[in-house]
Amino acid sequence: MPVGQPEFPEFADNPEPRCPVVLLLDTSGSMSGEPIEELNQGITSFWQSVNQDSLAKLRVELAVVTFGPVRLAQNFSTIIQSKPPKLTADSDTPMGAAIEYALNLLEDRKATYKASSIQYYRPWVFLVTDGAPTDDWQNAAKVVRQGETDRKHLFFAVGVQGADMNTLNQIAPSQRPPLMLKGLDFRAMFEWLSASMKRVSASRVGTEEQISLPPVGWGEVQV
Amino acid sequence: MGWKAVLRSVIGTSHEQRHIVCQDYGNYEIFDDVLIAAIADGAGSAKYADIGAQLAVNTAITHLKKLYLRWFKLIEDKFPAVLHQTAVDPKDANLPAMIDAKIRKVFQKTLHKAIASLQKNAAENGYAFHDLACTLLLFIATDRWIAAMQIGDGFIVINSPESDYRLLFQPDKGEFINETTFVTSANALSQMQFCLYPIKQKFICASTDGLERVAIVTRANSTPFVPFFQPLEKYIQETSNPEQEDEYILRFLNSERLNARTDDDKTLFLCFFAQQGHVEPKQPRWLDCFNLGENKSE
Repeated sequence: MPVGQPEFPEFADNPEPRCPVVLLLDTSGSMSGEPIEELNQGITSFWQSVNQDSLAKLRVELAVVTFGPVRLAQNFSTIIQSKPPKLTADSDTPMGAAIEYALNLLEDRKATYKASSIQYYRPWVFLVTDGAPTDDWQNAAKVVRQGETDRKHLFFAVGVQGADMNTLNQIAPSQRPPLMLKGLDFRAMFEWLSASMKRVSASRVGTEEQISLPPVGWGEVQV
Repeated sequence: MGWKAVLRSVIGTSHEQRHIVCQDYGNYEIFDDVLIAAIADGAGSAKYADIGAQLAVNTAITHLKKLYLRWFKLIEDKFPAVLHQTAVDPKDANLPAMIDAKIRKVFQKTLHKAIASLQKNAAENGYAFHDLACTLLLFIATDRWIAAMQIGDGFIVINSPESDYRLLFQPDKGEFINETTFVTSANALSQMQFCLYPIKQKFICASTDGLERVAIVTRANSTPFVPFFQPLEKYIQETSNPEQEDEYILRFLNSERLNARTDDDKTLFLCFFAQQGHVEPKQPRWLDCFNLGENKSE
């Protein structure tokens, strides 16, 4: 080098890309007692786990929708900006309305990202229920499956003991059938979810392949 | 005088932690006043991505060199107006389309060779084809023009006496940031971006996506972040033998400041064309009327 080193390059200040996740949680009356407590603990452990990952805590944006009634327990925010919500079990199971609400919320969020030139990952919707829909769910199923085909989102359905797996099977995309949670092991489920989100938020794949996710130890496919 | 260049790939911190090899690879060749360079970023999800990246780069360079002697020479000889920025005969209205088709063919053939070499390697070693998945950025430049192609993410930025820093291709990200096209993708040929700029070259910088987020302002229309490139250009301009005097570039690529922003493998290719004697005065901007094979989003 001749006299004097040149300066080092300065860095562009781009916003972190976001990895949106919607937790769509059944808080109907049947979840009261131990199930809702376990669910709350699982959510808290999810928060802690994502928070320990330097990339994921900046990139994973979580919204929590509960039903019923359909309620936005928490709007999209990164893990470091928010605290885990405390959920209480309440009334019936308007699953169809909740799904449609969640998918609309997601599309709104994408529009916000686009308007602010924030890059984002394919969103995840994670539905957890222990019952059967008490409302009209057919349209919701259609939107879920069409969105999956159009690569708008990845939809995961999890049934807790007592769940109407038959209906869940018709809602969940055919390539990703619903899983039955083993007992009330929400903690293991959320550990898996946080491990998956860490993987996704640091990943790069071709347009034809899927991210290889950690093995599912907490649930099983029921045929 | 002529081209001088330096190329370095440095392993990302996340790869180091997981004991994965560096999956970036690059190479270049300078002959006469022509420079051919290629870089590739092996897909993290692919088992032998490092092998794929190396093979794709070296095959592409070898093949493009062969084609240069036929195609580009042909264009240079037959249509000097196009590449030398002099007036074009108005009768040649279909010239841009013709040259566009030729350049497309050159890069398609080159990419085809690279794909075939990966397929052959996969078959010989019993790998799956997608185990060799990688991106590919390839360009050929004289001081008067540059032709380039890109599969997947990463960037090529040029600076010329006639225009500001310019990003050749918009980043190849789909709607979702973590999805890109690889040489092994079924749609690689159709997703290939390519261009030809009849523009005087001074400085070219190419890199894999490890540096994308610090070097490129990612907006609806992404642009180079000029304070990133200026010091690099100054370094290569003032360094007479950059391949030997690489301390600056290695210190930068290994800096904690950079590693705090990216944990991926990083490849940086810099080259500079030193003109002999005086620099010619600015000429009318040609490229606005001659954006051959231009990326559609521009």
